[in-house]
Amino acid sequence: MGKEKNQAGKALNLLRSRLCDPNFIFKPLSDSPETNYSKLKFIISSSIKEACNNSILLLGPRGSGKVSVLELVLGDLLQEHLDQISVIRLNGLLHSDDNCAFKEIARQLCVEHQLLFSKMASFDDNSQFMIAMLQECGLAHKTIIFVLDEFDLFAQGKQRLLYSLLDAMQSVTSQAVVIGVSCRLDADQLLEKRVRSRFSHRKLLFLPPSKEDLERLLEHVLSLPLDSTFSHGYALDFNEKFKSILRDKRFEEVIDTYLNSSSTVSQLLRFLFCAVSFMDVESEFLSLENFKTALLTIQRQPKLECVKDCSILELYLLVCMKRLEVKEQNSYNFNSVMKEYKSVHDTFQTCDYYSRNVCLRAFEHLLQRELICFSDNRGTGQSLEFRPVKLLISPVELYQGLKSYRSCPAILLKLMDR
Amino acid sequence: MPSVCGRNSSPFDRSDNVDDVNRSDGDSTSQKRRLGGDPVAMEVRQISTQIKWKSPRRCVNSSPKTSAIGTEKDSMEGIVNLQKSQKTILTNDLTAKPNWNPIDTEQVSAVKEALHVSTAPSTVVCREDEQRRVLEFCKVCIEEEKAGSLYVCGCPGTGKSLSMEKVKQQVVDWAKEAGFHPPYVLSLNCTSLTNTSEIFSKIIGENQPKKKLNGSTSPLQQLQKLCSQQQQSSCSKMMLIIADELDYLITKDRAVIHDLFLLTTLPFSRFVLIGVANAIDLADRFLPRLQSLNCKPMVVTFRAYSKDQILRILQERLTVLPYIVFQPLALELCARKVAAASGDMRKALSVCRSALEMLEAEFRESTGNMNSISQEKGSLDKQTATGPEILEVQGNNVVRVDHMAVALSKTFKSPIVETIQSLPKHQQIILCSAVKFFRGGKKDTTVGELNKSYIDICKSVLIPPVGTLEFLGMCRVLNDQGLFKLGQSREEKFKRVTLKVDESDITFALQGIRFFRACLQ
Repeated sequence: MGKEKNQAGKALNLLRSRLCDPNFIFKPLSDSPETNYSKLKFIISSSIKEACNNSILLLGPRGSGKVSVLELVLGDLLQEHLDQISVIRLNGLLHSDDNCAFKEIARQLCVEHQLLFSKMASFDDNSQFMIAMLQECGLAHKTIIFVLDEFDLFAQGKQRLLYSLLDAMQSVTSQAVVIGVSCRLDADQLLEKRVRSRFSHRKLLFLPPSKEDLERLLEHVLSLPLDSTFSHGYALDFNEKFKSILRDKRFEEVIDTYLNSSSTVSQLLRFLFCAVSFMDVESEFLSLENFKTALLTIQRQPKLECVKDCSILELYLLVCMKRLEVKEQNSYNFNSVMKEYKSVHDTFQTCDYYSRNVCLRAFEHLLQRELICFSDNRGTGQSLEFRPVKLLISPVELYQGLKSYRSCPAILLKLMDR
Repeated sequence: MPSVCGRNSSPFDRSDNVDDVNRSDGDSTSQKRRLGGDPVAMEVRQISTQIKWKSPRRCVNSSPKTSAIGTEKDSMEGIVNLQKSQKTILTNDLTAKPNWNPIDTEQVSAVKEALHVSTAPSTVVCREDEQRRVLEFCKVCIEEEKAGSLYVCGCPGTGKSLSMEKVKQQVVDWAKEAGFHPPYVLSLNCTSLTNTSEIFSKIIGENQPKKKLNGSTSPLQQLQKLCSQQQQSSCSKMMLIIADELDYLITKDRAVIHDLFLLTTLPFSRFVLIGVANAIDLADRFLPRLQSLNCKPMVVTFRAYSKDQILRILQERLTVLPYIVFQPLALELCARKVAAASGDMRKALSVCRSALEMLEAEFRESTGNMNSISQEKGSLDKQTATGPEILEVQGNNVVRVDHMAVALSKTFKSPIVETIQSLPKHQQIILCSAVKFFRGGKKDTTVGELNKSYIDICKSVLIPPVGTLEFLGMCRVLNDQGLFKLGQSREEKFKRVTLKVDESDITFALQGIRFFRACLQ
């Protein structure tokens, strides 16, 4: 028993560490030639081999793995040709100013080639240093790879950095590759036309994974290895159980619901991390319930939970306010709500009819919980009952909250439908 | 320093220095280093030139270094190909060029080099007229020892800087031949100036390199003084200034650019100024004072390339190669498309290279397949089995129209349609609701209104809408990607939203899904 608990704990640790390691996630991409990883690797390595200049743009929503794949490719290339590449990294958030950018380039080049960097160097010095270094490296058959993160931020202002980089690449003497990473799809439309003309129009689009890719990813990440880390029987059982979960239709629904709102790889990994953390160490295996709980945890609706905590009277007040809004009364205060409450009671003969003071107390509770708020910005000039209020919860959310309420009176639901 | 022509020499020439390569096997810095066992491959070719017309099987067995090259199939292809190309060179028939071998990295890189933007061709075609005009202007100025200014304009990628380089050389050569003093030449790019008035110190530095800059007068004043005085020595040289990207000198008060051009109007000035920029009407817009002085610069416009010009330039670049790489129809398609879009030569070259890479990728896959197939058969069968396959491969290894079409579509299409199609469902519904909202003629709206519209659409199709927090998050994601534009506001609900993508793009992207089709009608 204790040993198996150990196994489950170890399995949990392994899965969690895998989900946090981008190298592991994107490694299987290197097998197929159609993936962005292989295409990027081919472009960069052929530029290095043929010693020609190239530029490429990586586009895709945030969290789709652009920088992870790029780092993976660069890591592989550095292993293969260590002394033929040097990598300079710039970030648009930090270095979008031209002076700053050239200084940073000079500093990184100095660090790379063990030269002395002077902080006093002027903008001219730095730019001439960069051009001279490009020529020197061209002679020595070394390729310099410029990685420009947040590329669209470099395209603000006069775009001098981009122009000098791309212009230097037009000469035969330099060997450089410029890789831009951006989440804006129209990043190359932001460039000035002369900069755009010098930019080769290669773009790699990072799209969310397709259904087959998704299945492969899930299997790759959440299957235990069959080597000696775990007892053979346990690992086999675990993988079998997981495969049966994958084939379950309800699991597909859970994943689809999640992917309907956010489909990037990083969001998916977050969801899986959540699900794996819910794994019951006692039962030693992942189950479908883990995924369902994870979905509920991630897709929280705070207002719904607020509604669930309300008392019935407070629900009545909310429904009355919604009815007032439906009747196109744009501003209403507590008194009008009380009138509506009374009219509802008269029409439907409900048994929940409370006095005005009790209702006022409930009203204050709603204000504190921020389900309603005052719609004017004056201080505390008037008393509570006369100030206009408005709902902070949409009718749909209110309806859902009522439906999931533990003992909601049927009258309220009927009132919502009108 | 490796030169361009070295790479394009025929294989026959290379066999002469193969001995040197043999000796300096490890040290390959004399040529641009290629990974992939180059010197060894050349040695095989050397041996094969001596062994003519032996059967392929015996050829492979007799060359001692086959194992080092890689698969035997590759070396055999190289040998058969070389024999073919030898035959062509021997018969001296250049019209029927041999096909090339896309797997051979040497040849591929030669082609890519010929098509690279940085390779300056030896003759600049299609710009002879413009070059002649500029040259004439410079000649007249030098002959009469008069100053003058010229403005070269045109879209990016039309060969302005390239032509100016050639003209520079031609002017100096002509001056030497005709017996005039060759002028000083200063060619600079205005983007490299930190301060716009630095250009004057650069001119002075070039003009009188020995003279120290006087601290009291600015460089501009020194230049003006110089130009207003009669020169003592009668043989002082003219100075040719070529200023690239002239619009970087334009400041709010346009002082610098005015002063620069006014320098040429002073009585004893010896400057010939050529400014290069993109704007066609720069002279009219930014130099009105010159017009009143009646010395507007002459304007030479470099028009965007037409389809025939692009085709000619591409063919000119490819004639240096001893083999056919592109199908003529493919080149024509590329020229037509690029000419219709912008007439930018760099784009045409980039598209050709991209098509070449596609061919390469196709070949790598197919040889991968063939290798796996041939490895399944026995090794004895290998030689005989791959013989006919090689010839089949060489039949259609040029860049075809379909490669070019794919390359063109990749270059000219925007990634917007694909991205919209791969967005998660709720974000697509948000885009849809935005389209419907803006159809009424409004240009922007608030997030709150958009939310209401989104909830309506969700209700109509019975999908539960997401909560307000998630809706805001999704709007932010769409803003990051450049599909929306969110304004600023203290409250989230009052941020203004505009659609940055064309409505027809969204309709096109979502037409595959019935629900959206119905919704967007």
